[in-house]
Amino acid sequence: MSAGLQHYLDVAQRFQAEQAETAPLWLRALREEGLAQLSRQGFPTPRHEDWKYTDVAPIVSRGFAPVGAGRSVDLKARVEQLALPGPRLVFVDGRHSPELSSLEGLYEGVTVKSLRVAVREDAEALEAVLGRRARAEAHPFTALNAALLEEGAFVQVRPGAVAPSPVQLFFLASGAGAAPVLASPRIVVVAGENSEAALVELYAGVEGGASFTNAVTEVVLGDNARLHHYKLQAEPDAAFHLASLHARLSRDSSLTSHAFALGGALARNEVYSVFAGEGGECVLNGLYVGHGTQHLDNRTDLDHAVPRCTSRELYKGVLDDRARGTFHGRVLVRQDAQRTDASQTNRNLLLSEEALVDTRPQLEILADDVKCAHGAAVGRLDEQALFYLRARGIPRAEAERLLTYAFASEVVGAVKLEPLRARVEQLLAGRLPGGARREVGA
Amino acid sequence: MLLSVRNLHARIGDKEILKGINLELKPGEVHAIMGPNGSGKSTLSQVLAGRETYKVTQGEVLFEGKDLLALTPEQRAVAGVFLAFQYPVEIPGVGNLHFLRTALNAQRRSRGLEELDAMDFLSLAKERMKLVQMDQGFLNRSVNEGFSGGEKKRNEVFQMAVLQPRLAILDETDSGLDIDALRIVAGGVNALRSKERGMLVITHYQRLLDYIVPDKVHVMAGGRIVMSGGKELALELEKKGYAWVEKLGPAAGREART
Repeated sequence: MSAGLQHYLDVAQRFQAEQAETAPLWLRALREEGLAQLSRQGFPTPRHEDWKYTDVAPIVSRGFAPVGAGRSVDLKARVEQLALPGPRLVFVDGRHSPELSSLEGLYEGVTVKSLRVAVREDAEALEAVLGRRARAEAHPFTALNAALLEEGAFVQVRPGAVAPSPVQLFFLASGAGAAPVLASPRIVVVAGENSEAALVELYAGVEGGASFTNAVTEVVLGDNARLHHYKLQAEPDAAFHLASLHARLSRDSSLTSHAFALGGALARNEVYSVFAGEGGECVLNGLYVGHGTQHLDNRTDLDHAVPRCTSRELYKGVLDDRARGTFHGRVLVRQDAQRTDASQTNRNLLLSEEALVDTRPQLEILADDVKCAHGAAVGRLDEQALFYLRARGIPRAEAERLLTYAFASEVVGAVKLEPLRARVEQLLAGRLPGGARREVGA
Repeated sequence: MLLSVRNLHARIGDKEILKGINLELKPGEVHAIMGPNGSGKSTLSQVLAGRETYKVTQGEVLFEGKDLLALTPEQRAVAGVFLAFQYPVEIPGVGNLHFLRTALNAQRRSRGLEELDAMDFLSLAKERMKLVQMDQGFLNRSVNEGFSGGEKKRNEVFQMAVLQPRLAILDETDSGLDIDALRIVAGGVNALRSKERGMLVITHYQRLLDYIVPDKVHVMAGGRIVMSGGKELALELEKKGYAWVEKLGPAAGREART
């Protein structure tokens, strides 16, 4: 066994021993299963098919560990500056901070609780879903998350409730303290029949400290429920971030996921979505923008298990300097899933000679009456368009910026949530070549 | 002199396309350049605008006495050169209004002028659009995206009206236009004629010159100007066809070499 794995097993064992007396039995079982699975599977290496392009050795070899409770860091100003308006739960270094959180303005019919509170107050509802979508035996980092399961959020939307403005879950790495910090948030969303809600996961950090976020989100949508899920990962360039979203869509339900990966030395975002009832609709939008030596990995998996469902996937990547991106998108159309309508597109823009992307669309179609389209492309800035802009007096660097922004705008523009879109645009402006020199926008 | 082109040679890859162009244009003049396909007309316009795919191997171009070839495309635009593209490029995701304001302000900045704010620019744009009867809806669309051929050409002339260049090069601005669109585009161009501004109007057909009446007509063949004359030359060319000048191409070339 590697020293790295041993470290994480030790950390989890210690954590579970400390918590043994206070945790309910079902939660203890979940944690123990996580630990057992991690021990059994070990961490992946590039020899694993699913981790061919992403080497987690830099994470495994460092001694990331959860911070103890009760540490207080004054981050109020920082949170006010970075959080979006509206009700929010705030987590600092993985720990829920009641002082920085505020659920004012929460829609009726929506309940948001920190996971620790929900374990006490809503045990039955939580137990029914926790760990059912994101299974420890399927994924070593899900297993790690389960082994350290303590913090996170439980969001419930009552049947029929319509809450168009979002609930925000804000995860901040404080950068305080010398030890490398591990945060293992678990987010559980249960949307009742005929409901509509929006959820934002926002990940940010203060430059300086070493952090590793290992997040797992589980979503269960009732019949005809709609969920708009937004994830903005804008952690410092030195951060490590692994996250997965696991969704189950019942009949006529709809999930729209927008995933923005802007920060992190190594970041991987996974989305697993299963259609469990006919008439479902799933939209997956993604944008990853890397520079320096960032490594941004995107893994999506759409399971058309039943007939008559629609999926639309669009992931775009912009890679500069020596950044590396990967996209692996699987669409499975099972034998019974007749009249499936699925499309998948992955387009990448490389801004430097050293930037690299691996794109791997994977369509497995076992039904015969389906409409499926896919496309993947890797390209550079269009020289003709560049010349056109320059011939109008726009300097080369600015023209490149304008075209790069235009490339990304297809994904950014799909965000209907105005404050979030503005935030993404602002972050993007600072990260595109040329820095935050001038305003951008269409 | 606004523009002096002297013995200009240019190539793309191993292929020499311009084989010694000579041309003098004074402020206030409109010159037409006619010629068959492949004669080098469009190459000349691209070389003057600074397209880097073409390599100038010989000769010089002076713009208001300064070496134009030493400038980047954006510096040429700032100096006052404008190319109306034969094939305007579609740029999805970049709004027409934003694009043109960025362009105008980049030029103003380089000239040491104050930038126009969004409001001032919008009123300027709205006023100049009238020149080519463009609908305001075009301002909010992406640059040229989904525009018809005629709309693209009108958009080029609209840009010229906003940027107010010293030298306008119109590269086959008439191609693909029906007669109504041609009238509108030509009307816009004529409204922009002035004592300070020179224009090079590149066209395959004489038809455009009924609407934009040139001071001089040059005929290109085989990478050279083989004939120059007044506006009546265009009519003669229309009657005799390009076969007439294509025969002159090699002869004129020999002349130029001796």
